[in-house]
Amino acid sequence: MSAHQIKSGSEPVPRPEPPRFEAIVVGGGPAGLAAAYTMAGAGMKVALIERGDWCGSKNMMGGLIFTDPTDQVVPEFWKEAPLERFITRRDLWICTNDAAIKGSYESEDFAAEPHNAFSVFRSRFDKWLAEKAKARGAYIITETLVEELIQENGRVTGVRTGRPQGELEADVVILAEGVNTFLTEKAGLGPGMKPEYLALAVKEVLSLPREKIEDRFNLEGDEGAAIEAAGEITAGLPGTGFIYTNRDTISIGIGVMLKDMVNRVGEAYTLLERFKQQPQVRRLIAGASAREYAAHLIPEGGLHNMPRLCSDGVLVAGDAAGMVNAVHTEGANLALLSGQMAAETVIRCRDKGDYSARALNHYCDLLESSLIMKDLREYQDVAPFLSSHPHLFGLYPEVLSAAFRELLTVDSLSKADKHRLILRLIRAQIPVRRMMKDVYEIWRTLG
Amino acid sequence: MSDRQKSVWPPPATNIAGKLGLVKFKPDDDSHLRVIDREVCRNLCPQKFCTHSCPAQVYRWEVEEQVISIAFEGCLECGTCRSGGCPFGNLEMRYPRGGFGIQYRFG
Repeated sequence: MSAHQIKSGSEPVPRPEPPRFEAIVVGGGPAGLAAAYTMAGAGMKVALIERGDWCGSKNMMGGLIFTDPTDQVVPEFWKEAPLERFITRRDLWICTNDAAIKGSYESEDFAAEPHNAFSVFRSRFDKWLAEKAKARGAYIITETLVEELIQENGRVTGVRTGRPQGELEADVVILAEGVNTFLTEKAGLGPGMKPEYLALAVKEVLSLPREKIEDRFNLEGDEGAAIEAAGEITAGLPGTGFIYTNRDTISIGIGVMLKDMVNRVGEAYTLLERFKQQPQVRRLIAGASAREYAAHLIPEGGLHNMPRLCSDGVLVAGDAAGMVNAVHTEGANLALLSGQMAAETVIRCRDKGDYSARALNHYCDLLESSLIMKDLREYQDVAPFLSSHPHLFGLYPEVLSAAFRELLTVDSLSKADKHRLILRLIRAQIPVRRMMKDVYEIWRTLG
Repeated sequence: MSDRQKSVWPPPATNIAGKLGLVKFKPDDDSHLRVIDREVCRNLCPQKFCTHSCPAQVYRWEVEEQVISIAFEGCLECGTCRSGGCPFGNLEMRYPRGGFGIQYRFG
């Protein structure tokens, strides 16, 4: 079934048939690349279509990748992949405007290969992974925007790109377009990401000589530190800040729930500026020069905000599928794993010669029995809970900080009087009943 | 309309022109961003939400012309404007054509 072009005064010229692949992947991020890499490894004819100049050029993350899930998709990736530092210390800071209560875990275990987590840059890591997929035979088509999924009788049969004669056909399309689900929505798979479930993160990359980084963060060699901060740094809005050490740069950013920010007529970059000026943060980045600024949306609704993942001729993976566990800053690993599962499903379909909707549904079965759905189910109430309990980010850090300050200040109060004062201080701001209610609700939300 | 809605909008607190100067862009000729209905901006939105919610300060309220201007060349393509950055849903966003728009060196 080919379209004909009529040239004036001549015979109709038959249009070439659209190129045909066994599978097309839309999007060159972790999910799409994991899918293309896996399918190419099984000898499938697969095309990955990316709108940026290279895979990664329009991607952004905090960010950390985790060894185990990444190793599952690209075995022993750490030997070749462009990685910054391996993380040996993770901090959690509860901040007020001028104080921080810090919890830190540091382990020699994390210092030993293959390590647990690495700081990375998406633009570089994804570029590398795309080369790996290409080396296996995947067609990586860049600078091309997919504008529409082609559907026939409700079945997805290919994609239409912005290029002239830009249609490509495939048995299956894996949709890994990221958080802005243009194609997912157009294809009727989902209503799109709702603002109450989206976080806006802004980030800067600051350069600092590596000796200074190692000195200030107390690191040896290629060790790295990761700091997550919460509290008044997000001006009473639910959200977190992060600081990750790279080789000779620091990634520093802050994320807030989009709806909260809009309601308060707030600005994400203003929060970032304030975070950078927080006394405990300022000294870590003093003298650093800014190299890049980035912004990105994170779909944090989990189960509340997911499109249909399996449909006729199409599977949805990664951020486009809303697979993010915000509490644990896990999004990229879930994307990688879901991309791999989508690929495994397609390989299975190819082997059986069955690409029906029922056969593709195997993807959903794989997801259900994997940590992806289990974790999303476990944490499904967290985002709404945090949004409806903003005092956890404002009041609690303030009270906790005041309690610590009182405890650690040596003055003329007897210890007994001091303890009484601290308890009165806490109870005045957070009545016992409310505290117990909060504890109970936190337990219910996570349990 | 509440007092807050009636109040004059504050201009963005931080100027991020310096930050955007660090990022590499390949601008297309045409904008991939569009205001759908100018009347909504004029009559229904005193806060000019988009001028605050866009992390790239792409949207500016031009007081004389009474319109929102769009500096699409500096768009970070995050999607905020289409997904709640304008509570009226009055901004249309597509991705730029393939090969155009923002290019992260770090990401």
